[in-house]
This record gives sequence, structure tokens and C-alpha cells, in this order.
Amino acid sequence: MSPETAAQETSLEAPSGQTWLPKAGAWFWLATAFLATIFALGILAFILRWQTGWGDRRLWGYYAATFSFLFSTALTAPVVSVGLRIVGGSWRRPVCRVAELFSLVGILSFLWFLPLIRLIPPARGRLSIWYGLAGAPHVWETVAMATLVAAGLALLYWASIPDMARSRGGGGKLTFLGRLAFSWTGSGRQWRVLKAGLLLLGVFYLLMLVFVQSLFASDFVVSLVPGSKDALFPAYHVMTALQTATALVTLTLFLLRKWGGLQDYIGPATFKGLGRLLLVVTLLWFYFWWSGFIVMWYGRRPEEELLLELFVTGPNRPFFALSLGLNFVVPFLLLLFNPIRKSILGPSIVSVLVLLGTLFDRIRLFTASFSMTESGNAITRLPPARVPDWIDLFILLGGLSGLALTFLASIRLLPVLSWWEITEGLKLQAERTLGRKKVIMVAKPE
Amino acid sequence: MNGGRGAGSEGKMEADRVGVEKKINKDLLGPVFGFPRNFWKASGVLSLVVFAGILAFVWLLINGLGVAGINRPVMWGFFITNFVFWVGISHAGVMISSILRLSRAEWRLPMTRAAEILTIMALFTAALHPIIHSGRPWRTMYWAFPYDFSRMLWPNIRSPIIWDVTAILTYLTSSAMFVYVALIPDLAIARDRASGFARSMYGRMALGWTGTSRQWKLHGIASVLLAGLILPVFVSVHSVVSWDFASLTSVEGWHSTVFAPYFVAGAIHSGVSAVVVVMALMVWFYGWKDYLRPRHFDAIGKLLIAIAIGWFYFYILEFVFGMYSLEGPELAMREMVTFQPPWSIYQIAFLFTAFLIPVSLLLFRRVRRNVLAMFLIGITVNIGMWFERFLIVIPGLARKQPFTFVWGTYRPTLVEILIVAGSFALVFLGILMFAKFFPLVPLSDVKEGEASRGEIQIGRARFKATLQD
Amino acid sequence: MFKDQVLGLCRNPETAAQAVEALENKGFSAEEYDILTATPYPEGTFGESRHRHRLYVFPFVGAVLGLSVAVLITVGTQIFPPIVTGGKPILSIPPMIIIMFEGTMLGAILFTVIGVIFESRLFGPKLGLYDRRITEGYIGLLVTSSPERVTQAEEAMTGAGVQEFKRLPAGAGGR
Repeated sequence: MSPETAAQETSLEAPSGQTWLPKAGAWFWLATAFLATIFALGILAFILRWQTGWGDRRLWGYYAATFSFLFSTALTAPVVSVGLRIVGGSWRRPVCRVAELFSLVGILSFLWFLPLIRLIPPARGRLSIWYGLAGAPHVWETVAMATLVAAGLALLYWASIPDMARSRGGGGKLTFLGRLAFSWTGSGRQWRVLKAGLLLLGVFYLLMLVFVQSLFASDFVVSLVPGSKDALFPAYHVMTALQTATALVTLTLFLLRKWGGLQDYIGPATFKGLGRLLLVVTLLWFYFWWSGFIVMWYGRRPEEELLLELFVTGPNRPFFALSLGLNFVVPFLLLLFNPIRKSILGPSIVSVLVLLGTLFDRIRLFTASFSMTESGNAITRLPPARVPDWIDLFILLGGLSGLALTFLASIRLLPVLSWWEITEGLKLQAERTLGRKKVIMVAKPE
Repeated sequence: MNGGRGAGSEGKMEADRVGVEKKINKDLLGPVFGFPRNFWKASGVLSLVVFAGILAFVWLLINGLGVAGINRPVMWGFFITNFVFWVGISHAGVMISSILRLSRAEWRLPMTRAAEILTIMALFTAALHPIIHSGRPWRTMYWAFPYDFSRMLWPNIRSPIIWDVTAILTYLTSSAMFVYVALIPDLAIARDRASGFARSMYGRMALGWTGTSRQWKLHGIASVLLAGLILPVFVSVHSVVSWDFASLTSVEGWHSTVFAPYFVAGAIHSGVSAVVVVMALMVWFYGWKDYLRPRHFDAIGKLLIAIAIGWFYFYILEFVFGMYSLEGPELAMREMVTFQPPWSIYQIAFLFTAFLIPVSLLLFRRVRRNVLAMFLIGITVNIGMWFERFLIVIPGLARKQPFTFVWGTYRPTLVEILIVAGSFALVFLGILMFAKFFPLVPLSDVKEGEASRGEIQIGRARFKATLQD
Repeated sequence: MFKDQVLGLCRNPETAAQAVEALENKGFSAEEYDILTATPYPEGTFGESRHRHRLYVFPFVGAVLGLSVAVLITVGTQIFPPIVTGGKPILSIPPMIIIMFEGTMLGAILFTVIGVIFESRLFGPKLGLYDRRITEGYIGLLVTSSPERVTQAEEAMTGAGVQEFKRLPAGAGGR
């Protein structure tokens, strides 16, 4: 092929019109029905818990853990897209929309958050990062969370405009999505604005996520546990969330490839890239945990020794051990080997482990912090680990199925792959011959 | 036969490879086989400053630590500040070569070796500081190396100081190995250009490299492998340095869990800025503006924005949670640093020079593509980061502590200032000397970049393209 | 058995690739020829076969060795004699992990370097048949075989457009 006809658009042109949806066969509706049932049971469980009242925060530990899990997966997933859009190679193109679609889970997460914020005492008169600011943390946390969710939705909308415009179809008949694309025609100016907007919105989302997650981690863990002033903890929450979000996106891509009929678009290069990313965030998981641990362990302050006992060595040890194994040890040992890391199945299996690990990690952190009933400068009595009852279990499962359900709905609503980015990628690469080898050249426009 | 071979622009690209490579050899080996203008002046001035530092050190050896400003309760002064600073700078090399190699950022190619040499020189210089600081260098043996077999007195591995020694030695060895492996093909190029004694020396060091396809393949794998292996070490070094401080509970402002990532991010911030300074010097001193182009400065400028913001996040965490527990002494220390001159002046200077000024300037494309502006930003950031280290080490110690009976402040003496100045000169002299004997820009990498470059045409626009593996 | 060598020099990768193809057509196996370049071309540019290697074994061996040494040192110095310092347990595992980590990495890195030198057969400054212009962008095609085969190779390469040759032992065959 001569370099002048660089764009090889033969087989991989994006489907047009409404055919972009992955095949929605019987399994799709079956899965939807199943998830909807669990979700409904989750809501029921929430109502039952509500009946018990808000007085005892201990009962809401699993509810908080579930929120943190949603926050660390769905709401963090768009950051994977933003980061890869800034630095990633062309393998990231199928990742972006899938990651951004999870912004829609933000609506569920926000609703989930509202009861949670009720459980936190006002910042006045106790140690917190707000230093007694009026309205803190309730008003400010809620505003921050709402901004984050809105920013995520804006990012998703902005990134899908060109694809929504595709759905207009012929004959001037406007679909719902076509209307949402307003007057998008794809002029040079519009593209420039789109790209600049994507960068700005993306960076805003990234900064906002780190900020809101740090607030959340400080208010819902650090300031609830007496004696804790763990400066690293917010960063730990963000870092582990990044690992989990990467895992969620990897797993989703695997499922879409396997059952969504998208194997032509989600290729091995994408999984190879994600595998490497997973290895990096897995190492960082350990680093961020260890950096906090060693300082407290070495310092030997009595109140910090109690903290370590609460979160690591004491009643919550099983959760911690599971999390350490599933977030770090096993993924690390698996991803160390090239044949596993560079495969499609390898990173996907690791993703399942990581998602489970983070679930245990969040249970460990939030049931422990929600079990603290005392305030002061140090823990005086270690609360026992909270064993989930049926209500806890259904709240947890309800949250998880809510996440999956929203995603299934979202792929019926919007194109699951960013077609404009994928076609752009195809145009920007060309096959050449170097000596006797066929190589792919990739252009990077400024 | 292979039909489309040689068609289009890539045919041209390959035909004059010999010309391209000859030019690269000539340009980049210039300083090795000749003397750049001002070489003697530069090395003369730097040697003088280093010599002054050595004299000051000898003076300190003869008269004891009393000639330095450190005293109870501020036992850690300029030497330790400077130690932390240089360990920080040493994070430049791996950040540039390793991380960017793994993320396949093509723009890193011409600056990798300079960054790695900066790493080695900075780390070597850093390692001198605790030894100088001890006042009796021969005694450092007692706490760092297993020495006394008969009495079974071993180094205490529970001490963060020993972690420091292992981490720094590991990092120094690894970086040196990393540089050497990357240097082998370039040594072969130098061998083929040199004659006489130099030829035999380069020949010995090149280990008989002829550039067979097997050698190149293993070289490529080893570079990636070493880059991956050195990364965790790189993170561990400044973390361990931070634990020298953070593991202590008695000094205000030190015992913070966020110290490790905060130090590492700060190290990358100052290290990458230092690379910018070295890059600018390479453009001016060696005239390599064809190799270090505005787009390289632009890319590293963008990287610096990201690093600076990341570092600032950890700074905010450190600050907010430092005061979180509202403990009296801690608050008093923060108040002193924030409101009481001279500390407050240092604090403001640090915030402006390390973050506010550079980041706001780097947002502009025109600034990022201007060598002089980038040079100044690199210097500014490093002034700020030096203050940052100073503000971490000194104020906490200057406060009254439960078991100290004196309460004083710290004023550096001429001896300390000279040694610090000497350390700066030593690093630059080291780079200058390295560049006299070895190519400071990796020739093979630059050639690989040239060979894997092409163009892609879409409609009427032509885009620069690179090879994807 | 005595072996001859010939080094063909090409000015560009195109000619080199054609020459390798010509050699393959003449039935030369991968063991008989080698390509010398000053630039790492992507593997397979000249149609050369994939090289098998065991480089990945080295860092693992190094890591195990480094870890073992670090375990010995850390455990040994703490329990002979057991002195309590800083209120830490006699066998303080977290500090041990830090030193064990550094030891492991040091071992892995040193062995990787040994591995790359060993696997690349970089055993000393001797070069064999070589030309300085290779580091100027010329691509060398080195054929090692019996004298007749080497002459054949030279002919094949000439046919593919290679113009310049060096031969060992000097004087044998063409040129």
C-alpha cells in the first residue's frame, strides 16, 4: 500500500446509524432482569435499614463501604480515559468511551451518597480537615460530590457529540441523540473546540476527582477514628481507586469483546497496554499502603499502634489479608510474567481479583471507621469486626448490581465505543515496509 | 518479491542513512574528540569552586564540626538539607529515561543520557554529605558496614540510616549499570572513530560490540527490563530518605505518613527541572540545537506541569494533616514558619519559586518552547525545592523539645556554604568531564529515532509519524 | 573445520534486505549469516530469524540470590546477638522487608547486566571481521561458512546490489 493512501478504512469502518450497539440478545435481557431483581432487593434492604434509624452508625458500615466502592470504580473510571487520552498511545482509543460511560453511574452514586452524609456529625467541635468551618462537612461535601458527578456527565456528553451526530440518519429525521448533538457538523472549528473542551473537561474531572475523593476519605475514615491523622490516607484512597477503576475498565472491555461482538475493535494491543498499566498501579497500591504503615509502625506512638491494630492486625485482619492478597500479591505475581501480562485473559482475570480485593479493602476501612463510637485523641476500645447480616449483604449486592445495570442501560443509550476516536486513529496510522518487514507508523498531530 | 518496497517517502528516508549517521556521529562526538569553546574556562571555574569546597572540608576535618553552624538542638543543617536536595535531583535520570521509555515517549531520546549522568553525579554528591556531616568520616564505617566480627557488633538494620545506605548504594549501582548498558553501542561508535590508546580503551569498554541483530535485540530487551527494575528502586530511595524524618515522632513536622510520596514527587519535580537546566546548557555549550529542539522543551514543560500539580497535592495533604490534630507544639511550629521572618520569607519564596511562578508560566506554549525561559524556570524550581528541604529539616529542630535543654536557631557558616557551593560545582564538573570522554547524547537512540520516523499524509496535511512496535 | 568469512557492506537497509533474501534463496541458514548495524532496526527488517535467548532467567536468579543474601544479613545481624534497639522486636520484619527489597532489586539488576553481556556474547574487545564504517550507517552482512559457500554468498550478495566486500582469510576467493 502506498503511503499516500494512508487511511486503511476497508474493514474497520465504524458502523453507522443505530447499529453501533453491541448485539443485545437474550442474554442481555436475562442479565438485565437478574440485576434489576438484585437491585430491587438492595433497595428493599436499604428501606429496612432505614427503619432501624440513623442513630447507630455502626449499622451503616457496609452501606458506606459500598459507596466507597462505587466511588472507586465507576466514578474513577473516567480518569482512566482522561489520563490515557493525554499520554496513551493509539491502543487507548477503544478504552475511552467505555470508561466515560461509567459517569452515568454517578447519578446512582450521588443518590447513594445523600443518606450517607447524614451519618456524619458536624465538623464543629471535633477534629476534621474543615477546622470547624460552618456547614462542614455536609454542605461542602454534597456540593463537591454534585460538581464531580456533573463534570463526569459533561465529559461523557462532550466526548460523544460527534457520535451522537452520526445517529441523525438520513432524511432529516431527528432522533433523540441527534437532537442532543445540536448543530454539530464536524467543521474544523468545531473539532478544535471539541478537542480543547475534552482536554479542559478531562483535566477538571481529574483534579476534581482527586479533590472530592480526598475529602471523602478524610471525612468518612480519618476524622471518624480517634487518634488518626493519617495524611497519606486520602492519597491511598485515590491510588487504590485508580487501580480498581483500571480493573473495572479492563474487565468491561473483556466482556464487551467476548459477548458484545466487538472483538474487531477491542484488540490485544489494548489489553497489553492495560496490563502494563495494571502492573504499575498494583505496585503503587503496595507503595501507598506501605508508606503509611511503616511510618506508624516505626513511630510507636500508642495511638498509632492502636490504629494499626484496628485496620491491619486486629479484628479486621481477614479483610486486610484478603485485600493484600487480591490487590497486590496475586496480581503482582501474575502480571510479572510477560505471557500473562501481554495476553487478553491475564489482565482480565487480574481485574476480577483487584475488584474483589478493593471490595474487601473498603469493607475493612469503612466498617471499622463506622464502628467507632468514641471521640477523643486515641482509641480506647477496639470494636469487633462487623460481620454482615442479610441486610448488609443485600445493600452491598444492590450497589454492585446498580452499577452493572446502569452500564447495561448506558450501552443501549450511547455508542459503547468512541467511533470518532477509533476512525481518527485508523486515519492516523499507516502500514509501511521497512526492509522486509511490515511496520505500522502512527502519526501524532500536535 | 515484495512489491511496494521502497515506494514513497520511506525509500528516500533510507537511501541517505549513511549521510544522516555520519552527521550524527560528527555532531554528537564533537566534544569527545575535540574541545567545545569555553571548555577550559568552564572546567577551570568549576574546579576552583570544588577545590574551595574541599579546602572547607579539610578545615572542618582539622577543627572539628564546631566550625559548622550545626549545634544543639539544630543538629541537621545545610549538609543534610543539601543531601536531601541532591538525592532529589538524582530522580531526574530514571524519571526521564525509565518512565518515558516504558511509556514510549519518543521525545525523551536525546536527553536520556544527560539525565542519567545527572542522576549518578547527584547521587554520588548526595552520598558524600552524610559522610561530611558526620565530621569524622572514617567513623561512618562503624554504622554502615559490618566490620567487627570478633565482637559481633553489626550495623543496626532497624535504623532508617542503614536503609538509606542500602537504598542509595543500590540505586547508584543500578543507575551506573543502566548507563553502562545503554552506552555500549555508543562506545563502539567512539571506538571506530578513535585511534591509538583511546581506541583500545573504548574497544575494551565496548566489549566487542559489532551491532549484530542478536546484540541489538538483547540490548533492547535489557533496556526495557532494566528500566522496569530500576523504577521501584528509584521510588524507594527518596521514600527511605523521607523515613529518616517521618519515622521520628519527637520532632514537629516530621512524623507524617505522606512523607514518602511527598518526597518522591518533590524529587521528580526538582530532578526534571534540573534536566531542563542541563538541556539548555547542552544547547548553548555544545550547540546541539538540532537535537534538543523546541518540541523537546515543550514536552518536558508539559510533563513538569503534571509533576508540579501532583507534588503540590501531597504538599497540601502534608500541610493540612500536619495541623489536623491541633497539637500545640505542632501549631506553634507551623505558625513560626508561616508568620515569623526569616522562615516566613523562605516559605513564601518556596511557594512562589517551586510552584506558582513555574506552573503559571509553563501553561504558555511560547514559554515552553523558549530555551532561555525554560532554563530560568528550571533554576527557579530548584531554588524553591532547596528552600522546601531547608524548611522540612530545620524549623522542627529549632523548636523546643521535651528532652532538650537548649533552644536555638541555625545559621550556616562559611564552611558549610563553601561545601554546598562545592557540591553544585562538583555535579556540573562531573557532567562536563563525562561529556569529555563519552557521548552525552545517546547516539544510537537518536539514530533509532531517525530511522523510525516518517510521515503520514491525510488529505493535504502531512503529519510526523513514528514507528509502532 | 576451517571457516571463511565475508563481510558485505551496504549503504542502505533496502540493499541489505535484498541481499539477505538472496542469501536465503541460495539456502543459507540463519546460523551462517549475521547483520551488523549501528542502529537498532525493528526485528525482522532484514528477514532475519527470531533469536532465542534466556535473558529473562537472569533477573529471576539474581533476585533470588539477592533476597537470600539480604535475609541472611538482616536475620543474622539481628539475632547474633539479640539486642533490643528503639523498642523494636528482636526480629523486626518491616525494616527487614526494606533491606530485602533493595537486595532483591540489586541482585536482579546486576544479573540482568551479566545476562545481557553473556547472552549477547560480549566477551572482549576482539571484533573479528568488521568495518569501521558500520558505525557510520553502513550495514554489514557477515557470512561465516566454508570457503566455497562464502564465495557463493559473495556472488549472491553482489547480485543483490552489494558492491563492497571484505574477506577473511584475506586473499581467499573473490575481491
